[in-house]
Amino acid sequence: MKKKQKKIKNINQASFYFEDYLETNKQKKSLKNKNDLQDRIYLIFFFFMSLVLIFTIKITHLSLSKSSTFNQKTSSLKFTLIRRDIIDRNGVLISRNANSGHVAVIPKLVKNKKNFLIKLRLHFPELKINEIEKKLSEGKYFYLKKRIDQFEREKFWALGEKGIKFENFQARMHAHGNLFNHDVVGQVDYDNYGISGIEKYFDKELKNKKLINKPLRLTLDTNIQYIISKELNQAIKTFSATGGGALLMNVNNGEILSLVSLPNFNINKRLSVKDKQYTNKITKGVYELGSIFKTFTIALALENDLVTSKTIIQDIPRSIKCSIHKISDMKEHPKNLSVEEILIRSSNVGSVILARKIGEQKFKKFIEDSKILKSTDLEIEEVGVPHKVKWNKCKLETVSYGHGIATTPLQAASVYSALVNGGEIIKPSLVKDNKKKIKKFSLISPETSKTINSILRKVVSSKNGTAYFADKNGYYIGGKTGTAEGYGNKKSRINSFISVFPTNKPNYTLLVMLENPKINKDLLYEYRGIKTKAPYNTSGWNSVYVAGKIIQKIGPILAINNEEFTNQHVAEKINK
Amino acid sequence: MFRLKYVISTTLVIILLTITSVIKNQTRILEKKLSKLNKEINLKEQDINESQLDFYFLTSPAELEKKIKTIGLNNYSPIENSKIFLSLTNFTNLKNKISLLEYKDKNEKKAKKN
Repeated sequence: MKKKQKKIKNINQASFYFEDYLETNKQKKSLKNKNDLQDRIYLIFFFFMSLVLIFTIKITHLSLSKSSTFNQKTSSLKFTLIRRDIIDRNGVLISRNANSGHVAVIPKLVKNKKNFLIKLRLHFPELKINEIEKKLSEGKYFYLKKRIDQFEREKFWALGEKGIKFENFQARMHAHGNLFNHDVVGQVDYDNYGISGIEKYFDKELKNKKLINKPLRLTLDTNIQYIISKELNQAIKTFSATGGGALLMNVNNGEILSLVSLPNFNINKRLSVKDKQYTNKITKGVYELGSIFKTFTIALALENDLVTSKTIIQDIPRSIKCSIHKISDMKEHPKNLSVEEILIRSSNVGSVILARKIGEQKFKKFIEDSKILKSTDLEIEEVGVPHKVKWNKCKLETVSYGHGIATTPLQAASVYSALVNGGEIIKPSLVKDNKKKIKKFSLISPETSKTINSILRKVVSSKNGTAYFADKNGYYIGGKTGTAEGYGNKKSRINSFISVFPTNKPNYTLLVMLENPKINKDLLYEYRGIKTKAPYNTSGWNSVYVAGKIIQKIGPILAINNEEFTNQHVAEKINK
Repeated sequence: MFRLKYVISTTLVIILLTITSVIKNQTRILEKKLSKLNKEINLKEQDINESQLDFYFLTSPAELEKKIKTIGLNNYSPIENSKIFLSLTNFTNLKNKISLLEYKDKNEKKAKKN
């Protein structure tokens, strides 16, 4: 049926078909217009969508990116330390970076060079104008002055010269000027690289960005350093010495509380130090320390059970011959001396007799075990290497009283610490909480150490002792004096004193050393109740005198025998 | 139906654009504030850094001694070690100790007289 109907339709079409061309064109046009409009709308829609998309991406980007990317102006102002602070054991600031700057010149931008040079000469007479003129004519960028302060910056700014350029720079500032030695705390160069002392040794650690807010803590104490430095400076003037040094060390852990070497200079100023007088006398200087070595001889004799402190050495001659040399004492001593008396009176001949009893092999072993002839492992590079000893004829005899053997005062003090702390070898240190540890090694037994302490106390307190001026009430000071000629230079003289306090429970060792001191004829000493002038130029009359004054001042800071002083004060109050 | 689609999409676009611009403006204001605060913080940090350096310089033993010399030693005389008390209890303990000893001393003297 359906087929039939289709056929009928087709018949109809074939029979008549009329098409209105006008109407069809209209319809077609309208359809086309409609399509065009739709396309435009899509285009606009697409355009706006793209805009939205772009903004969305931008917002996301901004929100995810770091603030510094769009805060560049602020970040350029941001002050970030590039080197850690250095502080003392009590948290007092020693070194810190601060904003500073360099002044440079761009010669091309300087229009009137003559005028510029006149202005410079007028306002900055210290500048070398000839050199600046030469550099200006060369036309290359150059520095006019480095490390300027705010005042100088403003002065340069006031010149109104277009060719002047200021470069920002972080300068290392030392809050205490010349209090700490240039080769202990150290200096940095213009690029903030450590060039000496701790600044050089810990250069990487000091620049570590992760630790930038954690200061490096030293074992040094600013107040004690100041007192010792002041007293030593005074002593150099009083005794017309050419230099001096002092070291205060904890005998139990090797912490150095003060290290002074004079003459010194302000470490805020950069100077090229070529003069030998600026060498660190404590860490780098190598000296014959004289009678200080007698303590080692006595300790060795006691340790080997050859004698006790009370053993009497009989018939000690006035002098002893060794090869072609004649060894004698400065003063006349009784013929029979106990072992402790040999140290108290500082008898050279007595020490030689004891050394011969000990023998060369044992003495050599002691020198090797004590490492006195090895350089100290300290946290600075400015450490001296002691001279090697050739054990030829008479060496044992001369070494027994400290001649013909030279070492650094630092190394001598650390061996001394071992003698008094119970026998334990210690490692001197300038940095608190340093992880470096040494193997525990006993140089002598605690019993020998105890005996040595009591003898050292007698050197100061006994009537015949050589260190009377160090006998300060309440501090139980012990020690040994040493007077020697300079190593390889007979004209020079080193007067030293190593003290230990308090001897009943040793905590600190103080070494005071004066280079080429002279007798001060105007100085009156209070010697055992009598006012007198110095009869000899020995350490007992200068180094000991200085050490006594120092200990009296630093004792309260170190809180030695506070209770005893308080009780004394109470007693005084009641008696009043 | 077709028109409704356009209306919705155009409104959406306008709303999004407005929101974007508002957010952007707000962000910019916040950025400015942040930048200003950061600048202030940086300057303060720098000031603190330099002030601390000045403090340690001015309170260094050498500078303090200079000051004492100019002010005069009469006003700043050294104190005996035993007269320095680290705490109030430390001080009261000592006072008690002294008064107890004084009391005992008086009693002893009285007993002797009797």
